[in-house]
Amino acid sequence: MLPFSQKPHSKFSFFKLLFWVSQLLVLSSGFELDESLTYIWPLPSEFTSGNETLAVDPTLSLSVSGKGGDLKILREGFERYKKIIFKHVSGVSIFEKLRGITSVYDISELRIIVNSDSEELQLGVDESYTLFVAKNDGKSIVGGATIENVLHWHIIDEQSFPLEVPTYPNLWNGAYTKWERYTVEDASDIVSFAKMRGIHVMAEVDVPGHAESWGAGYPDLWPSSSCREPLDVSKNFTFDLISGILSDIRKIFPFELFHLGGDEVNTGCWTSTPHVKQWLNDRNMTAKDAYQYFVLKAQEMAISKGWTPVNWEETFNAFAANLNPQTVVHNWLGPGVCPNAVAKGFRCIFSNQGVWYLDHLDVPWDQVYNAEPLEGINNVSEQNLVLGGEVCMWDEVADTSNVQQTIWPRAAAAAERLWSKREAVSARNITLTALPRFLYFRCLLNRRGVQAAPVTNKYARQPPTGPGSCYEQ
Amino acid sequence: MASEASLVAMVVALALSNALLVTSESEYNKVKIWPMPASVSYGHSHLYLSNDFELSTNYDSGLLKDAFNRMLAVIRLGHIIEANFSALHLSPLLRGLHIVISSSNHQLQYTIDESYKLTVPSPENPGYAHLEAQTVYGALHGLQTFSQLCHFNFTSRVLEVHMSPWTIIDQPRFSYRGLLIDTSRHYLPLPVVKKVIDSMSYAKLNVLHWHIVDSQSFPLEIPSYPKLWDGAYSPSERYTVADAAEVVSYAQQRGINVLAEIDVPGHARSWGTGYPSLWPSKDCQQPLDVSKEFTFKVIDGILSDFSKIFKFKFVHLGGDEVNTSCWTITPHISKWLREHGMNESQAYQYFVLRAQNVALSHGYEIVNWEETFNDFGNKLSRKTVVHNWLGGGVARQVVASGLRCIVSNQDKWYLHYLDTTLQEFYANEPLTNITNLKQQKLVIGGEVCMWGEFVDGSDIEQTIWPRAAAAAERLWTPYDKLAKNPREVTGRLAHFRCLLNQRGVAAAPLAGQGRSAPEGPGSCYEQ
Repeated sequence: MLPFSQKPHSKFSFFKLLFWVSQLLVLSSGFELDESLTYIWPLPSEFTSGNETLAVDPTLSLSVSGKGGDLKILREGFERYKKIIFKHVSGVSIFEKLRGITSVYDISELRIIVNSDSEELQLGVDESYTLFVAKNDGKSIVGGATIENVLHWHIIDEQSFPLEVPTYPNLWNGAYTKWERYTVEDASDIVSFAKMRGIHVMAEVDVPGHAESWGAGYPDLWPSSSCREPLDVSKNFTFDLISGILSDIRKIFPFELFHLGGDEVNTGCWTSTPHVKQWLNDRNMTAKDAYQYFVLKAQEMAISKGWTPVNWEETFNAFAANLNPQTVVHNWLGPGVCPNAVAKGFRCIFSNQGVWYLDHLDVPWDQVYNAEPLEGINNVSEQNLVLGGEVCMWDEVADTSNVQQTIWPRAAAAAERLWSKREAVSARNITLTALPRFLYFRCLLNRRGVQAAPVTNKYARQPPTGPGSCYEQ
Repeated sequence: MASEASLVAMVVALALSNALLVTSESEYNKVKIWPMPASVSYGHSHLYLSNDFELSTNYDSGLLKDAFNRMLAVIRLGHIIEANFSALHLSPLLRGLHIVISSSNHQLQYTIDESYKLTVPSPENPGYAHLEAQTVYGALHGLQTFSQLCHFNFTSRVLEVHMSPWTIIDQPRFSYRGLLIDTSRHYLPLPVVKKVIDSMSYAKLNVLHWHIVDSQSFPLEIPSYPKLWDGAYSPSERYTVADAAEVVSYAQQRGINVLAEIDVPGHARSWGTGYPSLWPSKDCQQPLDVSKEFTFKVIDGILSDFSKIFKFKFVHLGGDEVNTSCWTITPHISKWLREHGMNESQAYQYFVLRAQNVALSHGYEIVNWEETFNDFGNKLSRKTVVHNWLGGGVARQVVASGLRCIVSNQDKWYLHYLDTTLQEFYANEPLTNITNLKQQKLVIGGEVCMWGEFVDGSDIEQTIWPRAAAAAERLWTPYDKLAKNPREVTGRLAHFRCLLNQRGVAAAPLAGQGRSAPEGPGSCYEQ
């Protein structure tokens, strides 16, 4: 997958660098590590390595230069990774005593050059970096790695509406309880937390289906009190409210992509509710026409606020010819959709539910890993229209108690598919080339306090089958 | 007509009787503090925490200051608090918490005073809430209780205390309220252990029983015998001495003791990876070779190294599930048994008692699993605390013989048995059938056990919580304040489970078996 634009190196690539370095550092020399593999996940784009082991000073210092060297995000990221890397180490003086040497470390400083001082995190920002780890004799290691960079936040659905919308303050009466809510500041906090880690937040307000919870605060939005989805297409109020939501949300989410949903729209309540049916008849619209009308109208609102709309694939499947050409089509129903979308000139995000829906517990890591977003697309300019892909953690049966082990480690398999070079991830025997590295990465996640489930289980988020080393489970 | 009237009368009567039940249950359920304090009184008013809510105290202690700051963080949960109170017309402002601690002794040890008194004023006279305790560790419990009184109001964005004024006088029923973790069947990285310790403090548990080593792996560094940790699963699945000291210190800052266990002579196959002579033979690797002096030298080395890290008064020497057949079938050991005039069970006794003496020589008192009591109770050191696990009814016999006891009967308090329900955890009474007051005092407390065969960093929190919380209340709250019917606590426990979730603890839903996924979409408070 080719980058979008060739901006100068930005500081977000710094995270990739540090993340990579942090994976290199282990407390002791590797155990039974297959020396032919590189234990960095995802696999860097290019790398060379030697066979020396260098000691790193736990008081590693940071020296910055370049236009972007001074940015706060850089310093904070460095401190964060330092804590992760050096959590075990305290015995500096023992070394010195034993060896009678003042400086026993090969590496005492990390020098970072950031060329751009732009703090803007936008789609296509340059995330590349180059890392050299060398002793004086000039051996070097160069590489790159990262994790996912977009958090797609599906905030609302039919069951609950947890987000504060100041323009329409009754909307969050649809929250489960008055504590299961996000204030505007909470949402901004998430955006800023993500930004400090180089991650965009793409918000979703799914319309016109999946919206029953909106009516808890504004029952007028329901076609009727006994038929509550989709949102009432016949009312101006519906669209005033959507506009209000989008205005409020625009202040919180700076990412240029905004998701408008549009999936699984069952128009039965439009055709069966008298005043809506009347409205359709007056305009000579079928229910399907009204669906298109609704989606396009919402899209225009988003575009007028400076967003690029993302919509679930049903909108493309139902009325591709009329879909706004700026639309990014979000594939989920199955394979083969992105090829069609890009053939018609639309950009696409790949989330084929057969392989990348994390709530499907019966998809093992290798199926996640082998899924290829560019499958069936051979034309290079069409390939460029595939923005990337996304794994989806739907929450019907996941909550705080089990969401982490449902996401990890399988999401990491998709992460490598999305970052690393296609040839690197398309090896035939991934049991040899990827599995040991994947096990290693899972244990790294655990060491960092992330509840990543065992790799080798048949179903996701199962407990380990018995006692054993992390590296074998 | 008459039948209708009597029907109506019946319905009314039923409604009334339900209303009465609901009233008393709902009074109890209004107190959303877990575990339920010994004595609570509350009012009906709201108080609001000022933005610069402060700690006021003469007790100069980093430990207390850190605990106070941690408490603030846990109340705020990252929300931005509204700064402009006058705009909201909120007058009764709580400015801070005034803490008085009588004893200057900072030491955390067995049977320190954990009591506290917490008062939150009424709105007429706000100002400061007051916390009094004998020791700083009692104060920590008071901070925990206070943290459970505060709520973030999403609409006004201020922190509130409901149902003021409060007067809470509290102390634990049992002095030993433990959780066992097992880092041999699966290595638990330090961040995982620390999170478990944090979560223990929310439920006022105070002993982390660290079952460090077992047959499968030996993860701890032992400087006296540096090859022992060759028995770790891998070089990175290990704890250095500094790591262990960090666990002890992290726990101590939260008022939690660490009971280290080195299980002998069974459950010790991993010792031989570094020192194969500890095995009876290469083909028969458990229990530890009773015939060798070297075996006891190693135990002495381990306990000596322990004594530099683990400062709790007790050390756990295990002694459970000892299958002595490798002793009898290995020639040099059966010879040794003959020469010493011992049969297998006498050798088992000899081993346990000898290990006990080593521990005593390092200043420890001993805990041993109940088989040692069942087999030769009258030979055990009188300083032994017997750790019951096999089933009910053992505690009664232990205390009748004059020894202390910790209750962990596996049918009710083993967390990896997912089909043991919340209600069973709650209802398990350590003093069952023990009526003599002196003997009751010998039951020092109880412990829920999180064995590690099927649990690792990915699922330990949701296996422990919320069922461990049910046991935590059984161990803290006075007997007559416990719910007689465990189903009555569902509302309060759901609230505590959601509080754990808010604090980043992956506590599972109440419904279903242990560690179940939620059955479908829904509010935290109803799952």
